[in-house]
Amino acid sequence: MSDEPNRVGAPPDQELDPVIHAQARLRVMVALSVLREGDRIAFPRLQEMLGMTAGNLSIHLRKLEEAGYVEVVKTHQGRTPTTLIGLTRRGRLAFEEYTATVKALLSLTEEK
Amino acid sequence: MVHEDPDERAPASPEETLRLIEAERAAAQRNIQPDPRLTYVPWGVAWLVGFGLLFLRLGPDGRVFVAMPAWLPLAVLYVLLIAAFVVSGVTGARAGRHVRGVSSVQGLRYGVSWAAGFAGVVVIATRYSDRLPDQEVVLLWSGLSVAVVGVLYIAGAAIWQSRDMFVLGMWITVVNIGGFLAGPGWHSLAISLAGGGGMLVAGFVEWLRWRRGEC
Repeated sequence: MSDEPNRVGAPPDQELDPVIHAQARLRVMVALSVLREGDRIAFPRLQEMLGMTAGNLSIHLRKLEEAGYVEVVKTHQGRTPTTLIGLTRRGRLAFEEYTATVKALLSLTEEK
Repeated sequence: MVHEDPDERAPASPEETLRLIEAERAAAQRNIQPDPRLTYVPWGVAWLVGFGLLFLRLGPDGRVFVAMPAWLPLAVLYVLLIAAFVVSGVTGARAGRHVRGVSSVQGLRYGVSWAAGFAGVVVIATRYSDRLPDQEVVLLWSGLSVAVVGVLYIAGAAIWQSRDMFVLGMWITVVNIGGFLAGPGWHSLAISLAGGGGMLVAGFVEWLRWRRGEC
């Protein structure tokens, strides 16, 4: 398994991005990909959308952040601290690549 | 590689992966986009019933199709419009809650454009209300208001790239102009049936898309 997760233009016979190719992180990526570019969602809303525990979501967000796919911004909403989460440009691209690879794999298996 | 943690488990096959992506995407879309039944239907009902009563009480050439107090149609229209404003506003705000960035700025400015449009309508129409017969007052207010609504739906379609919204805005504009030219009474009928009806149809079409997670 390669350490470089983002293989742009990966041919379909290559492995799927291991950072995204795990049930929980895939769900996080899909939910974030639905936001418009330039939008961020607050942590509790994302948690509610996904039905994950705060601890669990934090772990997966950290992994996605380490890969450079997700941006976590701490800010203030009045006096209340808020954590906002959004996909980075790289994350959006990686997710598109991932989806394209899955579709390519699917058409390969259908051809067989 | 064997993982103990089910979260780390990869979907079993490309089919399952794609199915998971599609299902999650549709669910996330439904969560983040307001339910069109709650954003379109209340306005459609308000127009259908409110303008319908106006037509029945203040018909073409001063005809009264159904006897009722003169204030009743307008009172019903206002109450229904306020209800529609509250329901669609709360629905939109709930969908956009805790999302910051480009879309919250767009939503805010779009909201301001409605307030700005109606501020203009109120100021202009108020000035002439005392000088015109009842029939013409209704035509003035509703003609101007519906013109603003049609234009703002078209503008909204440009912002959110919604073809349905564009068609609805064009439809409302054409119905408004046609009804206005036909004269008092007819305008109310046109806005009730074609305008309100168009809103209900648009709400249904958008709801079908929304249910599939397409918009």
